[in-house]
Amino acid sequence: MSMSHILQADRLSRNFGGLQAVDNVSFTVEEGEIFGLIGPNGAGKTTLFNLITGLTPVSSGTFSYRGKLLTGLAPHCVAGQGIGRTFQNIRLFKGLSALENVKIPQHSRTGSGLMSGVLGLPASRHEERVVEEKAWELLKLVGLSGRAVELAGNFSYGDQRRLEIGRALALDPKVLLLDEPAAGMNAAEKHTLTAFIREIREQFHLTVLLIEHHVPLVMGLCDRIAVLNFGKLIAIGAPAEVQQSQAVIDAYLGAE
Amino acid sequence: MEGFLQNYGFLLVTLVQQALLALSLYFPFMAGQLSLASPGFYALGGYIAAIMATVDSCASLRNALGWTIFPLEWLVAALVSGILALIVGIPSLRLRGIYLALGTIAFVEILRVLFLNLDITGGAIGIFDIPQLFEERWSYILIFGPLLVVVLLFIHRLQHSRTGRAFKAIREDELAAGAMGINPTYYKVQAFVIGAVLAGIVGAMSAPLLNTWNARQGTFDASVSYLAYVLIGGSRSLWGPLLGAALLAALPELLRPLRDARLIMNGLVLVVASIYLPHGIVGALSRLWSFFSTPSAARGGE
Repeated sequence: MSMSHILQADRLSRNFGGLQAVDNVSFTVEEGEIFGLIGPNGAGKTTLFNLITGLTPVSSGTFSYRGKLLTGLAPHCVAGQGIGRTFQNIRLFKGLSALENVKIPQHSRTGSGLMSGVLGLPASRHEERVVEEKAWELLKLVGLSGRAVELAGNFSYGDQRRLEIGRALALDPKVLLLDEPAAGMNAAEKHTLTAFIREIREQFHLTVLLIEHHVPLVMGLCDRIAVLNFGKLIAIGAPAEVQQSQAVIDAYLGAE
Repeated sequence: MEGFLQNYGFLLVTLVQQALLALSLYFPFMAGQLSLASPGFYALGGYIAAIMATVDSCASLRNALGWTIFPLEWLVAALVSGILALIVGIPSLRLRGIYLALGTIAFVEILRVLFLNLDITGGAIGIFDIPQLFEERWSYILIFGPLLVVVLLFIHRLQHSRTGRAFKAIREDELAAGAMGINPTYYKVQAFVIGAVLAGIVGAMSAPLLNTWNARQGTFDASVSYLAYVLIGGSRSLWGPLLGAALLAALPELLRPLRDARLIMNGLVLVVASIYLPHGIVGALSRLWSFFSTPSAARGGE
């Protein structure tokens, strides 16, 4: 086992009753990689994300980050390890301002307690200034600093998607999980998003896991791709290899 | 002035006291938890104060401390309420929404039945002849007033702190809050405990005011009243519970000429408010304000 594996899934499985949503999936992700996860609807991609982030408990198997076991940890502990994510159906704090949305995930990096915050003790005031500054930086990065006080729920779909990436970055993650970040975007927006994902990988030294349906985007952006079908990993490799794989062609187009 | 205080002083004290109890419900609300446990802790706090002020075994303590026994009563009530809230909160906050509300109603009922049957709480008769802190009832504003100011400042500061943001994140989306590194259980229990401590202190302050304390203090009816204060006033701003309590606690006094029919008015206000003011009075006012302060072009009107 090479030491550069940042993430390692080992025979991950999850069944819901009789449905094997994720079935014995093993793979490794290298540090700094953009790793794509594709597959037909219902292939288990989002379930896999939920297993990684602790939102859904695994039925069996393990997932580790830099050799540290993440399976069995509560979601907030996984997040505290530096694993940030977005959601397929966008789960911003809709009733809160954009600024608050990017302040909240800074929680695990800060430590002031109830009384320290209420009394405004020097340590917590200093912490607030740092949080505020970082929040503005992130809003600038996603191009929403002009609308910081607006409620996140009032933003357009595309802006919500970008704000959600900004919110995940506020966690200061080492690994970023993006669940269909380009869903509902037009061609120009997809193009901008591709550049943006590359840019944040460089800037924040991220490893990116990406679920996406839009094949050209995945092929252009990802270093490696894993293909899921009915919960099983059917192919893994460089985009060109995966594209040639008979199993993948069968999964998408139907076997003869 | 003297006459005004004689007539309305007690009403004013009642309004402030009810506002404080509404705010005790507001804390778990901040973290999105519909808890109706406040009356239970209010009753508990009152009993603690009443027992400390009347039982013989505390007589030497009372003599030694003089009037400072009263702050000690508040402190003990706060501590016991806080510890009980911690014990009850950790398992019950696994429940969500209406189930948590039902669980907390059951908690209030259990406490009530306990108080009704224990010897130390005076059974059905309760505890009477509780020594007074002040000679005049309106003077109690001197303790309830400052407490209200402190609580409002506390909430105001809390809303912009790390802990307050964690509360709000859980209220908005508990699952997303977890994925953003916030431990939902920890903060839900914390919000629940703060509310319980406040209700306990208010109970301890109220026992001398009312002179007697029995199992009719802090019942299911009270749970519903406090909830109505918060919902009618508005659950998204600290001014909501305050306004709701002032309005609804004053209403029976203002409608005194209607006699028994005034309770119907109470119900009517609740129904009308929940249909036409889903965000409460403060919510409706702030919407109105933002509507008129936004230029019409920005409203997206063609």
